[in-house]
Amino acid sequence: MRAPYMAVVTVSGQAGCRTREVARLAAQRLGFTHLSAERLDALMAEEFGPVVERASRAWPDMAASILLRLATTEHLVVGLDGAEELFRGFPALLRVRVVAPAARRTGNVMLDDGLNRAGARQALAARDREAARTRKARFGRATAAAEAFDLVVNAASLDASHMAELIAVAVMQKKLIEHGFLSPAAEAQLQFQIRLRLARLGIHPRGRASLAKPQFGHPSEEIFANLLDFYRIPWEYEPRSFPIAWDEHGNVIESFTPDFYLPESNLYVELTTMKQSLVTKKNRKIRLLREIYPHINIQVFYQKDIMDLVMKYGLAPQAQPQP
Amino acid sequence: MKVPALPVIDRVLFTEEQVQQRIREVAAEISSRYNDGNLKMIGVLKGSVFFLTALARELTIPVKIDFLSISPFSNHTKAPGVVRIAKDLDEPVEGEDVLLVEDIVDTGFTARYLLQTIAGREPNSIALCTMLDRPARRIVPLKIDFKCFEIPDRFVIGCGLDYKQLYRNLNFLAVLKPD
Repeated sequence: MRAPYMAVVTVSGQAGCRTREVARLAAQRLGFTHLSAERLDALMAEEFGPVVERASRAWPDMAASILLRLATTEHLVVGLDGAEELFRGFPALLRVRVVAPAARRTGNVMLDDGLNRAGARQALAARDREAARTRKARFGRATAAAEAFDLVVNAASLDASHMAELIAVAVMQKKLIEHGFLSPAAEAQLQFQIRLRLARLGIHPRGRASLAKPQFGHPSEEIFANLLDFYRIPWEYEPRSFPIAWDEHGNVIESFTPDFYLPESNLYVELTTMKQSLVTKKNRKIRLLREIYPHINIQVFYQKDIMDLVMKYGLAPQAQPQP
Repeated sequence: MKVPALPVIDRVLFTEEQVQQRIREVAAEISSRYNDGNLKMIGVLKGSVFFLTALARELTIPVKIDFLSISPFSNHTKAPGVVRIAKDLDEPVEGEDVLLVEDIVDTGFTARYLLQTIAGREPNSIALCTMLDRPARRIVPLKIDFKCFEIPDRFVIGCGLDYKQLYRNLNFLAVLKPD
């Protein structure tokens, strides 16, 4: 059923501020869908084809075309630098900017990239330049104007969960969820205007991109997802299927879909809780996957591993937390 | 060394002598790296207490020590919440060479979170030391600067590692008997 309205929170920030983590936690607290830059890139590729000019002037309309459609059924937290520019004039909108002093940002880059302080400073400067170039190409200005935001939070004095809590409070105070403003007719009108502008550039949305709510196939998968959420590890559930067998005509006759993908680690995770006879079958698929796609990183957790995790992280009634 | 006959032990992985010897070797590496006297070791409660203490005794350089702990994960509610610092450091780490000391690194979840948290507090440098590294379970890529042993994919007890809060005080490392 279509919701008669939508609420959107945009979270953008300087490089090294861990903006994505803030956006993800805010989405978790609010029960909204989190769209990261990578997720939006994937949806844009799905919608417009594999070649998407990330920094073109058409980019805002291409992104907005997708986001508008998705937001008719989902409340969104869009964690993307410049996202606040995508929803100009929308009433049910909260625009958040995450900032931090250079020392804090440098510390984060040191850790994330395994660099010393001097190397991290250089990397940060390069990312700032790249962000400015992208923003300029997409939105016509290299920097974010302070008045473009409703809420600015400082990562030097607030950790990600504090910032997410502030965002959630602001959403409630602004009554975004109850605001109800985007009728199907208004959405259609906005889409018409966007499509008209895109058509002038020879770009035609396909209407393919969609968000699917994860329906976990096994309770252990939900526990694992909760564990990842607890440790603030971004994840996607069954995002990709890999063909592993073809018939003589080249048609795919067998595929393998790992349970989770962790974009920060570029790692697929497969959980196996089934009985041994079925494990053998799954092991064969994993072996084929590794042979055919040697560049794919996949970690397999067998029932014993999962039970150990359950013991380690205190999921079982009698088990204990252990760092 | 006499190993107590505990029914939960499948086999001894490393004897007390092996553990002590390896701790001495790692302590020598750490002493060499941090010979400017600016080292602060941060232990993660509770498991790392035994290892950190043994390691610190073998160092030949001055060292400061602090501890922290994090909130436990619970799957009892639909919203699992997020990890938080349950016991924070007593003193700031700004400008110090921090060595985070763990008993074991397997998935890397805890170490990643703590390293991120500490890195944001402007230390001069930050490194990770663990008694045990179980890479077969690694999900989060981590750079481990110092480690005593790499272990197989088994549940291990002793030297701070517990099973249902027991056996941390064993002076050796043992594999827990399956079920």
